[in-house]
Amino acid sequence: MTIFGLEWFQPWVLALLPLALLPWFNHNLDKTVAWVNLVPADPLSNVISLALKLLSSLVIMMLLLALAGPNVPEQKVERLGEGAEIVLLLDRSRSMDAPFAVKTQAAAVSVGGDNSKRSVARDYLTEFVKNRPDDRFGFVFFSTKAINLLPLTYDKESILATINANALGKGLSDTNMAEALVSSAGMFEGQTYRGSRIVLLVSDGGQQLSAEAKEQISRLYKEMNLSIYWIYLKSNQEMSLDEGEDDNLLWADIPERKLHKFFQTIGVPYRAFEAGSLEAFAEAMAEIDRQQYQTLIVEETLPHEPKSDLLLWIAMLAMLLLATSHLYTFWGVKKAHE
Amino acid sequence: MILSYQKRILLTAVIMASALILIMAALWLPQVPRDVKIMDTLFVLDITDSMNVQDVEHDGEKVSRLTWAKDFTRRAMLEMPCGAHAGLAIFSEARSLILMNPVEVCSSYHDLRQMLEQFEPHMAWARSSEVSKAAYTAIRQAKEIDPQPTIVMLTDGHESPPIHESLFPKFAGTPGEIRGLLVGVGGDDLLPIPKTNEAGEVEGVWAVNDVMHQDVYASMQADTTINTNSPRTEHLSSQKKAHLETLANRVGFDYVASPTKPAQLVDQIREASQTRELTVDYDLYAWLSGLALILILLVYLPYGWIAKTDD
Repeated sequence: MTIFGLEWFQPWVLALLPLALLPWFNHNLDKTVAWVNLVPADPLSNVISLALKLLSSLVIMMLLLALAGPNVPEQKVERLGEGAEIVLLLDRSRSMDAPFAVKTQAAAVSVGGDNSKRSVARDYLTEFVKNRPDDRFGFVFFSTKAINLLPLTYDKESILATINANALGKGLSDTNMAEALVSSAGMFEGQTYRGSRIVLLVSDGGQQLSAEAKEQISRLYKEMNLSIYWIYLKSNQEMSLDEGEDDNLLWADIPERKLHKFFQTIGVPYRAFEAGSLEAFAEAMAEIDRQQYQTLIVEETLPHEPKSDLLLWIAMLAMLLLATSHLYTFWGVKKAHE
Repeated sequence: MILSYQKRILLTAVIMASALILIMAALWLPQVPRDVKIMDTLFVLDITDSMNVQDVEHDGEKVSRLTWAKDFTRRAMLEMPCGAHAGLAIFSEARSLILMNPVEVCSSYHDLRQMLEQFEPHMAWARSSEVSKAAYTAIRQAKEIDPQPTIVMLTDGHESPPIHESLFPKFAGTPGEIRGLLVGVGGDDLLPIPKTNEAGEVEGVWAVNDVMHQDVYASMQADTTINTNSPRTEHLSSQKKAHLETLANRVGFDYVASPTKPAQLVDQIREASQTRELTVDYDLYAWLSGLALILILLVYLPYGWIAKTDD
């Protein structure tokens, strides 16, 4: 609850504030005298009596306010950092369950092990995210549909937990890359431009995109000022995304190459990394890490700042005067009765 | 009891001095370490078609089971103590898919909530709903997470295609190895199930001939003790309490039917979980200043209205 620009953890305590008026209706410490006129008029003691009542009210009020738990609410501040806003597009298709970069046929049969493409991708991405303190990450989940599962966030714990979860279990049978690419652009919709924007695709295959999807993707990516990085996990060491001279005829028409060609033609910054080995994967991540240190507006959340201490200080100082005066009164009354 | 003037003055002085000491303590006493019990949980939400049935109440309105499950999960996460962890998963077809491993509920609440809001029927990758197998896969995957989370699976228990009692899918794990709760969602009346299309939009309801009313094996048997002539109601859905009870027993989970208070569910999760102790620094200022306040108020309470003090 916010009152006076402060947030209160226990706002109901504020309802007790009228208790601060109690000292003004109080006669517990009055001394009954036979005839009031016998007491000489003493302006100084009137002032003191008023002051004591004020002090008591102040103490009660300050204690109540402190108990209500006032604090300056979380604040978002912007500062300049170095980094990028990165949307992760991790392929969760079945083929990603296969082991990464194995040479022998026997090893290629083991599925879903620690060296599956998905676990390898998790390991390197985890490393990458940890090394980039200022980046903002988002995560797109795609099966038959694509969903912006985790909108852009600075919270490293949640993006790492999402990356980790992605490596669990078996892959999905259907993945729709076109929708995932469109959905990624949607992450930036309505966002102010803070610095470089990247869609980082990690996959072991491409997909045929319909003409309609192609048109939509190229329009959106230009509009949103996005760059594309594609870490292509090669299954075939010989094959390259770019056409070579002594190419196998079978490779001419594979979806990977078509996707690569499409990315090259849409007029946004694009770079493909072909990772055929763990070293190549690490190298690709390191390269992206090196390139993406441009000025970026970073939003930081300042945590709640409790303000009870200030109130307790006031209560303490008032209480000091009040307690002294009551001890002095006691001393005086004791003297008088001796 | 009426105190003499002198005694009242003495008592007041003592109280005021104590209050002063208490306020000073509130200001300067260091924080004390305190152990709180925290748990690691994995919320698994059923996103199959039967969860679109609108037969649960939320804020006095009839909402779909999924809407209720999402909101209840969010409120339960709010009730969990800071330091506790929660992860998110969805279930469709015959498997649970973990989407976020458990993260600390307070610092990552915003992201947990953002993700939870994305859970819609159109995320489903197939149009079947095999609850038992989904529970098994959730358990299998929970074992790979460190520390192993308690599974909280929110489902209506509707199996589609249905399973025959004697042909219950085999559970390969050890019951109770992974702790968990099945949280039953949905009412008791059989209601039509909205049907979603490929794009996840609702298109009418599942008709009686759209679904299987018996499991594949039984329906092919001539033996009428297996292939019984049971009523054809599998296109309708209610909370399948008996089935959830059986499933819970099989995997060593607790079953909670339609909980109403998130705080209560969190208590049940805590009981079912293997909790970890977490030491947090605890500020005593509220207790100390509260006590000081009560003491001061004791001095000023209008006792005169209760008992006449005169001397």
